[in-house]
Amino acid sequence: MFDLSPTEYSAMMLSIKVSLWSVAIILIPGIFTGWLLARHDFIGKSLLDGLLHLPLVLPPVVTGYLLLLLLGKQGMIGKWLYQNFDITLAFSWRGAVLATALMSFPLMVRSIRLSISSIEIKLEQAARSLGASAINTFFTITLPLALPGIITGSILAFARSLGEFGATITFVGNIEGETRTLPLAIYTYIQVPDGNEPAQRLLIISIILALSALLFSALIERRTALWLGGK
Amino acid sequence: MLSLDIQLQRGNFDLEAKFSLDKPVTGLFGSSGSGKSTLLNLVAGLAHPDNGWLKLGEKHLFNSAKNINLSPNKREVGVVFQDSQLFPHLPVTQNLLYGYKRIHRKQRRFEMPEIVDLLEIGHLLKKRPAQLSGGEKQRVGLGRALLASPRFLMLDEPLASLDQGLKQQILPFLKRVKDELNLPMVYISHSMEEILHLTDYLVVINNGRILGDGHFYDVIKEERVQGIANTMGLENIITATIIDHDIESGHTIAELKGNRILLPLTDKFSIGDSCYLSIRSSEIAIAKQHISQISIQNQIKAPIISCTKNASCISICVDIGAAPLTIDITPKAFSDLSLCQGDQVYCLIKAQSFSFLGKAG
Repeated sequence: MFDLSPTEYSAMMLSIKVSLWSVAIILIPGIFTGWLLARHDFIGKSLLDGLLHLPLVLPPVVTGYLLLLLLGKQGMIGKWLYQNFDITLAFSWRGAVLATALMSFPLMVRSIRLSISSIEIKLEQAARSLGASAINTFFTITLPLALPGIITGSILAFARSLGEFGATITFVGNIEGETRTLPLAIYTYIQVPDGNEPAQRLLIISIILALSALLFSALIERRTALWLGGK
Repeated sequence: MLSLDIQLQRGNFDLEAKFSLDKPVTGLFGSSGSGKSTLLNLVAGLAHPDNGWLKLGEKHLFNSAKNINLSPNKREVGVVFQDSQLFPHLPVTQNLLYGYKRIHRKQRRFEMPEIVDLLEIGHLLKKRPAQLSGGEKQRVGLGRALLASPRFLMLDEPLASLDQGLKQQILPFLKRVKDELNLPMVYISHSMEEILHLTDYLVVINNGRILGDGHFYDVIKEERVQGIANTMGLENIITATIIDHDIESGHTIAELKGNRILLPLTDKFSIGDSCYLSIRSSEIAIAKQHISQISIQNQIKAPIISCTKNASCISICVDIGAAPLTIDITPKAFSDLSLCQGDQVYCLIKAQSFSFLGKAG
């Protein structure tokens, strides 16, 4: 049963590639935004918070369609990107990365924000009083202590990216080898008469991937808890 | 040393403080919510006043008129926090060296071995903060602050989260730091006993206002401080000299302006020490004659200076030579004895009613 056809294999690898890229591009913005929301009060904070969470509550198709309108070849930004930098996002795997990144960003931010909020602010103040600059304090105190949240956030985002369907299919379509990720491939196989067997294989692979991500996250969490607890 | 004149308004709370400190150790005394911690944050640069100035020696830390506001890492003000705030992800050594590594070699005033010896933390170096007891954490926190070579050290209730037994173990270390390192300190606390253990020079803060600063005995007698002093059982504070410890009878004996007074047995003071004692005004009884056959050990003869009627009691003020003593009795007791100014009375005080506050400087 587990002789994957080249098509199925490429769907799996594409899913992993897109998910890894999407985590990679949102990691640093996610840390920054999480820190900003956890540690600062500013005008428009609620608005920013709301906007960030929008992809979580909007139908994914709506997010995908918005992306298409803005970043498609005829879209405001998409046209400009194409004319000036020869970059096309729509109907390419890079577009799939963008769509999944956008969809999983709120999960990443939530997790990081929570872990930064739970760091005693006096620890940072202690570092400052010991002669560390604000930036130095961030890198030597805040960031290491937020690490469990950053890792959990990344894994959640990775798992969410693996499953992204609606925004991806709307924005970048369902092109084999380019944008047909695991969920899209499963969907495609279900549509054809003898697609049951490959669809089930991919289903099992999806479960294995998602489960490994969660187990890995639990392992890392336990490790960091031990590391911080010192026992 | 540290001098300041600052104002701050945050919501309902406002703080106005003006004082200058020049003693090796000053106690900053106030109840919770009085503004002590805010004051610490302002000095350390963790919060900013709306107006005013702050100076450490000749160095401006903050000056609203000159637009100076040094960031906390440039102030050279060390802080020891109530819950030690050790960095949980770093072993003890790295915690100790955190500030040390960040200052220039030439500006370092203390070295690791010296501080480790002073605080007796050598056996803890490889551990992680989570493996330390409360008292150990506090010593490491103190060491970490010292190794950053501050020019001024602020201790924010360093003993508040420790139980009584542990406090007694940490206090000697604080005393050592005071005696052996030439480093001015502010000790912030709501416990007069702790403060008096280290210094008898204090600043009293309440509701964001400085009520007094100076020598303990003078400050506590100030009218504005009376209110707080009374709620803490510090209505009567007297200075007495220890003359004997009588283990058999269970008393420490002190001399108070010609009167011998019997106190509970203590080993905190030695013969010849002068110490502060407090007695609540409700713990003293008055008799018109000397009473024999009574368990109360102290009967001090004194003239009545004044009688004042309060809401629920009459406050009698007598002169015991060293200082006035306030005694609260009920109106009935007052009329039964028909007391008036100038009468000679006996003040009856149980030995156990005296509390030792600290050594008088």
